Amino acid sequence: MADLIGQLEALAASARASIVSADGERALEDLRVRYLGKKGELSAVLRGMGQLTPEERPRVGEVANRVRDEVEAMLAQARARLEQVKLDAELAGPPIDVTLPGRQLLPRGHRHPITRAMEDIAAIFAGLGYEVTSGPEIELDWYNFDALNVLPDHPARDMQDTFYVAEETLGAREARGERDAATGQVLLRTHTSPVQIRSMQRAGKPPVRIICPGRVYRSDYDQTHSPMFHQIEGLCVDTGITFADLKGTLAAFARGFFGPSTRTRFRPSYFPFVEPGAEVDVSCAICGGAGSREGRRCGTCKGSGWLEVLGAGMVHPTVLRNVGFDPSSCTGFAFGFGVERMAMLRHGIDDLRLFFENDLRFLAQF
Amino acid sequence: MRISCKWLSDYVDAPAAEELARLLTGVGLEVEAVERLGAELTGVVAARVVASEKHPNAEKLSVTRIDAGGPDPLQIVCGAKNYQVGDVVPLATIGTVLPGGMRIERAKLRGVESFGMLCSAKELGIDADASGLLILPRDAKPGTPVADVLGLADVVLEVNVTPNRPDALSHVGIAREVAALLGKPLRLPQPKLDERGAPASDAVRVRIEAPDRCARYAARVVEGVRIGPSPGWLARRLEACGVRSISNVVDVTNFVLLELGHPLHAFDLDRVAGHEIVVRTARPGERMTTLDGKERALDPEDLLIADRDRGSALAGVMGGGDSEISAGTTRVLIESAWFSPAGIRRTSRRHQLRSEASFRFERGADPGAVIPALNRCAELLAELAGGAVRPGIVDANPRPFTPGKVRLAWTRPAEVLGAPVELATTRRILGGLGFVEASADEQGATFEVPSWRVDIAHEEDLIEEICRTQGYDAIPERLPAASVEPPAPAPDRVALTRVRDALEAAGFSETVTFSFVSPADVEAVEPGARPIALANPISADLAVMRTSLVGSLLRSVAHDRRQGLDSARVYEIASVYRPRTDGARNPPADERRRICGVLAGRRSPVSWGVSGDPVDFYDAKASVEAVLAAIGVGDSRVEIDRATTWLHPRSAGAVLLADGTRVGALGEIHPRTAAAFSLPRGVFAFELEVGPLVSAMELVAKYRPVPRLPALLRDLAVVVSDRVRAADVLAAVRTEPLVEDVTLFDVYTGPPIPAGKKNLAMAISYRAADRTLTDAEADAAHARILERLRTDPAVAAELRA
Repeated sequence: MADLIGQLEALAASARASIVSADGERALEDLRVRYLGKKGELSAVLRGMGQLTPEERPRVGEVANRVRDEVEAMLAQARARLEQVKLDAELAGPPIDVTLPGRQLLPRGHRHPITRAMEDIAAIFAGLGYEVTSGPEIELDWYNFDALNVLPDHPARDMQDTFYVAEETLGAREARGERDAATGQVLLRTHTSPVQIRSMQRAGKPPVRIICPGRVYRSDYDQTHSPMFHQIEGLCVDTGITFADLKGTLAAFARGFFGPSTRTRFRPSYFPFVEPGAEVDVSCAICGGAGSREGRRCGTCKGSGWLEVLGAGMVHPTVLRNVGFDPSSCTGFAFGFGVERMAMLRHGIDDLRLFFENDLRFLAQF
Repeated sequence: MRISCKWLSDYVDAPAAEELARLLTGVGLEVEAVERLGAELTGVVAARVVASEKHPNAEKLSVTRIDAGGPDPLQIVCGAKNYQVGDVVPLATIGTVLPGGMRIERAKLRGVESFGMLCSAKELGIDADASGLLILPRDAKPGTPVADVLGLADVVLEVNVTPNRPDALSHVGIAREVAALLGKPLRLPQPKLDERGAPASDAVRVRIEAPDRCARYAARVVEGVRIGPSPGWLARRLEACGVRSISNVVDVTNFVLLELGHPLHAFDLDRVAGHEIVVRTARPGERMTTLDGKERALDPEDLLIADRDRGSALAGVMGGGDSEISAGTTRVLIESAWFSPAGIRRTSRRHQLRSEASFRFERGADPGAVIPALNRCAELLAELAGGAVRPGIVDANPRPFTPGKVRLAWTRPAEVLGAPVELATTRRILGGLGFVEASADEQGATFEVPSWRVDIAHEEDLIEEICRTQGYDAIPERLPAASVEPPAPAPDRVALTRVRDALEAAGFSETVTFSFVSPADVEAVEPGARPIALANPISADLAVMRTSLVGSLLRSVAHDRRQGLDSARVYEIASVYRPRTDGARNPPADERRRICGVLAGRRSPVSWGVSGDPVDFYDAKASVEAVLAAIGVGDSRVEIDRATTWLHPRSAGAVLLADGTRVGALGEIHPRTAAAFSLPRGVFAFELEVGPLVSAMELVAKYRPVPRLPALLRDLAVVVSDRVRAADVLAAVRTEPLVEDVTLFDVYTGPPIPAGKKNLAMAISYRAADRTLTDAEADAAHARILERLRTDPAVAAELRA
């Protein structure tokens, strides 16, 4: 018995020495097979158990189990040590090239700056309780002019060069039995103002509080004019609406769009559908209203410190009457402005034509 | 309107130009520019020749000593001979840049130093005379700017007069406004006439046949006129206002136009047949040659100033050649009339003929100015052309002017403006502007409108006068009371914002292109389409309203390709336009919003670590799916499309909603369409209608329970004919109730799959809602699917070994 125990102790001592010096997974596995495998040394020693007495067997078994546990623990410990060495080696290796560009599977596209401006403007007015509406771009001249107090022989029609639609291309109207009463010329709307009329007609009675972003068309094409551009129209009709409300609303809008320190200035002007009418300037978004920057005259506002951006006024009583509203019981204000100009001022874009060229190198900047 | 400050000062004591500009802009007469006349002669001063001797080294030159107002005389070398010592001449001092661009510098001429240059009229840009120095009046003080000596110095304001203010289209008009604003006296011209000879009515008769069109026609006759050039002061005043000096008679009528704003016309009375003026409409077929030399076919609505025989002027627009003032004219008939605006405007537009006269008449001339302007003109003709004014005015006045009356309720200004307005302020402002309080009571007053304010007809017009005169700064800023319930965002706007976000996430950039295109572009996209056309397009390229967005985006992609950008994903959301088919007219056209996208080039940009495969049909389809998913359009499918003209017939899909509603199409651009836009093959596009999508969308997602029980996964590979449609195979799989989901993860053709066949590999997940499935159940379901795929005639699959 003492002999077997001695052999087990010797086995343990040998395993201790060889496992500690093992230098790899492979060597460890070999040692495990050598000591603990089916044909290993431990099994060989235990085969001698047959000669022992029943009293001796548990004692030898106990030693054998202790030796097996010890060897297994040493093997596990050695494996952990080797893993750590491997991990340390990996962590100590050279870093990857973190400067390679990110993978360009599908880079994000870009919102057109005009849409972006329109969305931002609409959001400001939505916060002020305005409903965003739209109207037709191919319009009857009654909505575009007459209803807005621009009568057929009014010189104000010259203020806007109008595109007219060739009547014969509008389809055979007589072919059908019903024809609505609308007559007059058909044109591309020259401003978003006809939506004022349509909105008031749709509402039927005050209050009306709408804005309308959209495309408008004028027959003018050069460096500073595009035959198609975008406007936003605003209209607020209710009881007791005053010019002071108009001033406050546009001042709030200007601060919301151009920044909290933006100032506004109203100057008398003329649009046939408002009275009193005004042109509205905002303090220059580029020079902050100083008129100069770094000692040089500001090119954006031409040194004046102000930018003309809006037309506005109190809705003309004739316009209210044209939609069946009673000007003695309600008043309103209206305003309109060009979106391109807003976007140009905001982004520092100096050429109107860029908006419609749609060069991807331009679009990708927004 | 160009306003000369010098001229203006005849009528009112106005402040300096900058202050005046601010003042006028502040009341709605926007000054767009301030121009300094004579500024180009800055540095040129009057100088007296003190001494002159021959140049030591040059035959033709002299060396002069010049008093230019400084402490010491200057030495100047000069080539001219036409002066004497003591003469005052223009000296361009060192540093001056002459109108011709020549810069004066200190120079040595043949060894003699010269400190400036003595100038001819031509060198100063004021005359063609280059024969010698310009000799100035001897009393001009040396050192005085030449522009002042010559009376050239002036400041001109460029005033943008809005169409409602024709009364401001003259110097007196502006002066009246300034006088009212500053409370200063207005000095109107007071014509003094020395009338001689037989009464004017002996020389001419006036008859108005169309009193609705011509309310008044007044004429004077001036005889013994000598046509000649105008004096310098008159020519300079006209030129300051941008009007060319022609002859004394014509210049006088233009002067009165710019002074009082009232258009006049001068006829050669000896060429007025029958010495009779008839104001009548044109006769059918009548023709007339206007002053610009054009023979015009007249419309029966055109108003003419005619003599006994024929028309001699298009009334209020332009004179005729027959009765034009010429060098031999001695008897002048001056016309001063009032024509109704609408008729003038129609004639002016009909003949595409605009003049200073028509511009004013169509805005509304001042009926009160008819006689004063006539008298002023006669006075000046007598003075400047040596004429004698015949006694009396031949005045046809069938519709005497009565001033308009407008009532103002005292409380109304404050109600509209939102700021208190004192009664005294109202009265002071309106009174200053020429409104006369005809009657007043506790509540308000009725004001008589001055004859020149043709724009005033309503109470609001008076409020505007108060408001603009007071200045808008006097009105506080306030926000309207929130009497309106904040509206819910319109669903279509929410939807389109989501669509934009989704498309941008899928790599598309938004474009904004013109709504009008060339007819050829429409034809290339939709052959045979009949687009709505413009009557007056700006160019043939922008002549018709587009019926599809595809062409515009193809143009955009072609532009980018020319810039070297071969890969592009672009989209646009905009309207397309078609004639209405229901005969209705309000709105006049059928406008529908669409979402369009175009894909070209590579699927991913050239970059390391990604494949450079070209885009294909399924990229376009994924984009459509992204759009639909973004707005919660759940059930949709794509079927073979044979209707879309711009799609390649073999690569064309129609996008259908669950109920079969067609919402658009996608696929490869037809080779013919691509070629028309100079694009290669392999460009893909989709176009969707917003309307039906908005009807079908669900912006708020509905919750479905998340499965808690495990699913069992089985792969399945079947070989089918390559004509079998994936949708049929997947539909067959889904007939099995235990199938929760099926993913087609591979489509393969080629060896070892026999020709004409393809292998479809699918991953199927099985799940029951109420229990954990056993393997046996899943296997059984799998077997049923296989059997189904084998027997379904649309699939006829073989299980792949």
